[in-house]
Amino acid sequence: MVYFVVNDTTREDQRLYIQARLKEVACLDCLAKVKVKKNSDHHTAIQWTMESVEECAEFNKARQEPGGRQIHEACSRLRQSIEKAVAEGEIEIGAIDGY
Amino acid sequence: MSATEATPNVGTTQGQARSLDLGESGHRFARGWHCLGPVSIFQDGKPHAVEAFGGKLVVWADTKGDVQVLDAYCRHMGGDLTQGEVKGDEVACPFHDWRWAGDGKCTSIPYARRVPLRARTQRYETAINQGLLLIWHDPEGSAADHSLLPPEIEGITDPDVYTDWTWSTLDVPTANCREIVDNVVDMAHFFYIHFAFPTMFRNVFEGTTATQFMESTGRPDKAEQGYGDENLVLKSEASYFGPAYMINWINNEYKGFNTEVVLINCHIPTSETSFTLQFGLKVLKPEGTDEKTTKYIGEKYTEMFAEGFMQDVAIWRNKAPVQNPLLCEEDGPVYQLRRWYDQFYVDVADIAPEMQERFEFEVDTTKANEYWRAEVADNLAKKAAEDEAATSLANKAPA
Repeated sequence: MVYFVVNDTTREDQRLYIQARLKEVACLDCLAKVKVKKNSDHHTAIQWTMESVEECAEFNKARQEPGGRQIHEACSRLRQSIEKAVAEGEIEIGAIDGY
Repeated sequence: MSATEATPNVGTTQGQARSLDLGESGHRFARGWHCLGPVSIFQDGKPHAVEAFGGKLVVWADTKGDVQVLDAYCRHMGGDLTQGEVKGDEVACPFHDWRWAGDGKCTSIPYARRVPLRARTQRYETAINQGLLLIWHDPEGSAADHSLLPPEIEGITDPDVYTDWTWSTLDVPTANCREIVDNVVDMAHFFYIHFAFPTMFRNVFEGTTATQFMESTGRPDKAEQGYGDENLVLKSEASYFGPAYMINWINNEYKGFNTEVVLINCHIPTSETSFTLQFGLKVLKPEGTDEKTTKYIGEKYTEMFAEGFMQDVAIWRNKAPVQNPLLCEEDGPVYQLRRWYDQFYVDVADIAPEMQERFEFEVDTTKANEYWRAEVADNLAKKAAEDEAATSLANKAPA
């Protein structure tokens, strides 16, 4: 049981907005693999897994720094890896009807 | 609101028209820490009433100053403990003087030979975070998880470093509390509701925290309203720590003058279709600024955020609940945020990995800002023309 019980059409919307068009990208610097979607040049959605977060060298380093905030905005190496995947045409840019 | 209460035209599909799925509530309140306000409010020797989780709580401080929270209704004959008195460490019922301790046990009944063994009521575990009182709520009745509390902000309770908490309460009588959580991902409402241009907008959801990173400037056509002052450059990092307690770190730059604000945005669900929104802020005292000025700055920001929240409340009071929002490319990740939020409404054993797995999203604000700049320029031109017309009319008017 989740908070709101929804109908089948909504479940299909959930699938479209959350899972459609996600493409796997491997980090060029560590073993992290994530799923990425880009609706436009400046838009990026990145779905991590528990394992990929543990693999991420930048996040591991940030976690060990004392006093810092525990929420890390992004991994710069992964960003570069995504940019490269885009440049090589592995990730298609552009949304389909908002998703 | 349950699906059966839906008005007919939104519950069914008519031709190709898209219908709103109003959803059906899962009938429970979130598991997690809920903030009740600055702890000092409750340390005045009186019992306090707090509406929460479909009922009422009694909150008081014992002789050591430790704040205790119980269900408000006496397990004897249902007397309202919030109308009673604090006697020693216990709260006494106004009906028959049964004394209830912070651990939930009845310690004495002044007219009785002995206290029934089963005289135990619902208690809520507490924590103090940033000088605020938090309580743990879990429909499964688990022990409070203190590891889910945010870390203390350095110097936050030091009167030499920060101003005192301001504290404000707003009742939202006709909306489910998820409405306010949805704001975490709502880039565009900052322009329409809060009169700001969000130039950078990102989200990160991970574990039990959901964060919004935003940079914005005010709308010059809405100066004096909301965040609408073009000289105001706001950098904000706002995280929900659990379902109901947000800390928002804000750096405001106004004409070269920087202010650091810590804003708390928290809520308590009072029913499935109502909640109490509370917010408070502290201002980092700038070096070389006197007490009066920092107090003034704090009050100004309180006014600004109060106006902002009231604008939100006006929307929530009238909107429909939507389980299937239709999104455009400039919108934030509503569906992923709700997937994260669902973790607080399932049993711990049923938390799916994807509810907690890290998700990052950057909204493309470029096109939106382009269109908004044009709209604002147009508004300013119209206003200038109106002002000019008014002036020339005034000049022509006979003396």
